[in-house]
Amino acid sequence: MATDAIGGETPTLFLRKATGLVRGWSVRDSIIYACLATNFVTLGLYEFTFAGPAFPKGQFITATLISGVWVSFLVIAYAGLVVTIPRAGGDYVWQSRILGSGIGFVLAATGWWFILWLWAPIYGNILSVQLFEPLWATLKWTWPAGGAAWFGTNNGIFIVTLITIALAGVLVSLGMAGYAKIQRWFFVGGMVGFAVVVVLLLVNSHASFVSSFNLEGQKLFGVHNAYQATNAAAHKAGYTTSPFGFGPLGPTMLLVPAFMFFLLWPNWGTTLYGEVRGASDFRRVFSGMFAGLWITVICTVIFFLLIAKTVGWGFYQNLNALDYNLTPTFGIWPYPFMFAGWLVHNTAFQVALILVLSLWFFAWVGTLFLSSTRVIFAAAFDRVLPDRAAEVSERRKVPVYSLILMLLPAAGLAAVYAYSTTFRTYTLDATLVIAVTYLGSAIAVVLLPFVKPDLWRASPASRIKLLGVPIVPVAGVITIGLLVFNLYEWLSNDSYFVNSHASLVYMGAMYVLAIVIYVIARLVRSRQGIDLSLINKEIPVE
Amino acid sequence: MRVFFATDIHGSEVCWRKFLNAASFYKADLVVLGGDVTGKIMVPVVAHDGYWQAVVRGETIRMETRAELEEIQKKIRNAGHYPAVVSPDELQALSDEEGAVDRRFSAEMTRSLDRWLDMADGKLGGGDIPCILNGGNDDIWEIDDIIEASPSVTFGEAKSLDLDGFHLVSMGWTNPTPWNTFREAPEEQLKEKIDAVVSQIPDMGRAIFNFHAPPYGTGLDEAPALDETLRPTHGGAVMKPVGSTAVRDAINNYQPMLSVHGHIHESRGIKRMGRTLAINPGSVYSDGVLQGAVLELNAKKGKVTKYLLVNG
Repeated sequence: MATDAIGGETPTLFLRKATGLVRGWSVRDSIIYACLATNFVTLGLYEFTFAGPAFPKGQFITATLISGVWVSFLVIAYAGLVVTIPRAGGDYVWQSRILGSGIGFVLAATGWWFILWLWAPIYGNILSVQLFEPLWATLKWTWPAGGAAWFGTNNGIFIVTLITIALAGVLVSLGMAGYAKIQRWFFVGGMVGFAVVVVLLLVNSHASFVSSFNLEGQKLFGVHNAYQATNAAAHKAGYTTSPFGFGPLGPTMLLVPAFMFFLLWPNWGTTLYGEVRGASDFRRVFSGMFAGLWITVICTVIFFLLIAKTVGWGFYQNLNALDYNLTPTFGIWPYPFMFAGWLVHNTAFQVALILVLSLWFFAWVGTLFLSSTRVIFAAAFDRVLPDRAAEVSERRKVPVYSLILMLLPAAGLAAVYAYSTTFRTYTLDATLVIAVTYLGSAIAVVLLPFVKPDLWRASPASRIKLLGVPIVPVAGVITIGLLVFNLYEWLSNDSYFVNSHASLVYMGAMYVLAIVIYVIARLVRSRQGIDLSLINKEIPVE
Repeated sequence: MRVFFATDIHGSEVCWRKFLNAASFYKADLVVLGGDVTGKIMVPVVAHDGYWQAVVRGETIRMETRAELEEIQKKIRNAGHYPAVVSPDELQALSDEEGAVDRRFSAEMTRSLDRWLDMADGKLGGGDIPCILNGGNDDIWEIDDIIEASPSVTFGEAKSLDLDGFHLVSMGWTNPTPWNTFREAPEEQLKEKIDAVVSQIPDMGRAIFNFHAPPYGTGLDEAPALDETLRPTHGGAVMKPVGSTAVRDAINNYQPMLSVHGHIHESRGIKRMGRTLAINPGSVYSDGVLQGAVLELNAKKGKVTKYLLVNG
């Protein structure tokens, strides 16, 4: 029996060779996933188009930094949960264990399954505006009718969303192994693309940008003096932005709930395996998520500074305002990275830059339905969903029924999203519902020391203290503050477009659906003589 | 008949105590523990003049009284580790002498199992509630004789046990792992072992396979993909099937009514394979939670009528 000793010259632990004694995964991998999840290119740039015009007095850099600091506490809280109950099931497992099966199912089903139906068209729309529209425009392709602008039409959005859903479905079916290998390289490629944008914006002057913008705007879209025309159109529409700076705090805080659209996800997909757990695991889990979050924050700040220096902050916000008013300067979404590429007057370069930057999307799209599959499987194994939901086809290893449960509703919602401009404004619903799920986990982490004291005492998280106070539950309280603040703003402020009657009905319907599924499952299983309340009931020890 | 099945408790004393209470808690007529009973980690508790010292989950703990020592030992056992009380010289010897750690590990494992079986005698009414145990790939050979000698627990390995008309066959061997553990064999040898034990079953319609290794490629055998240094690749996001093809083929060919498995802790799940219901309840022993399956078997129909995975 071969053994290992841990603890240097004076061993503190002896391990014998046994199954499952794996080493911790690399922090670098974790950083990449956290960076891709808080995807400042796909999600960030998309959200800025909305946030600027909606909150013209808010300051972007300040809001990004405040969000980064606040979300860092969420990272601490989640790192605490991960090292205490290190299961791949994430929120579902934590909440079921700590808060109860019913709450666990309702919050996990809504936050990690149903709301992903809405994320599908959002992903599709981002693919349209960050790949197809700029590519078509740069290459001046006129098919289908309308060229690049077609991708912004109802049909365009719908078709691209279906492509996105199919792509994500195929990736789930094929498994993560192959995708994970290329995902890392896609991330590297995406970062290289961003670095090129940084260099272009750094070395070129504002005057050079204005002339390039006007030149390419004329060449590709036939818009004369596009820079001046954009400013004039925004002015005519009555839009005025605040100068680039750091205050005031009040209006800036209103950007925080909007920026959660991209900054709230550093904990996405964080798992931990292995059975030898110590303080180093907490540090490793925390470091991966924290570094990923702050790389995103830093990239975002760099982007804002360069926009202010070379593009012009007011002009950038005017571009966004015109898109917000559905009158974009060029008839397509104002993709700032495409405009940066215009600084080099070479079509091949511009196309290459768009393609390389689209790697941010392709490195990210594969995980769209991954969490849904996990929740559906877990719920089926808990007998809440029919057993078939977890079936995998023998030959191709495709999770057929769970895919149906994800893809069909997503395709249906894609149609609603594509053909209803009102529904499209509910974009932040997608963030809100997951935030509610996170709120459940934040409450769970605060209650953990009281509800599961033995588990808590055995956890490395209980030993992470500041001035003798355990940090993790305190971080949980601060996270609750973050989420409650965001929920309050989303639900009380009309500017986020999520508190309309129809939007509330849509979100409420998801919670009702989850509750109905759970109640029916309890009743049906009870008639079958299966008591679902036993699932998480603890066996007495003595 | 109601059966409670759990597996892979790996030395966790709190899980063992829960297992012994599971029969009354779930009103089970039979309890089965599917292997990997022994722990993987030994924690030296160093006895100094007037105090003891140990590092438990990264934290150095000093114990001044015997009560404190016992409390920490209990904590260590509940996590599935073995507390080994040693003098500083003994600790040095463990580090220096070839095979010393192995010998101490074996001694702690067998001593612990003896204690566990004594507890079983009290809890299971001296055999009133049938309790089946077998080894898993991580279990040392010495445990076999210890379990065989228990009056309350039946050692199931390589036997066909008749349980109220159902036939339970057990095998703790698995296909090879990267850790080169005790009961591992190539797939061809596993097939021979399976065929040998299955040949004892008179009625496959009422057969239960209790094979530690899960069937390959069924979703019951998904473990994080590892690189050559045994580090999970891609942040642990990539899983791959690591079960046994021999077990899979045996289930497909023999079609028992039920097949229970363990070994891959992360792969809690249920899979229909023809008429066979295959289950891996998984394991989170280090959390002190006993994952298991509560199964209702109908002798007349020769099928599993109800099943539920539980986190007890």
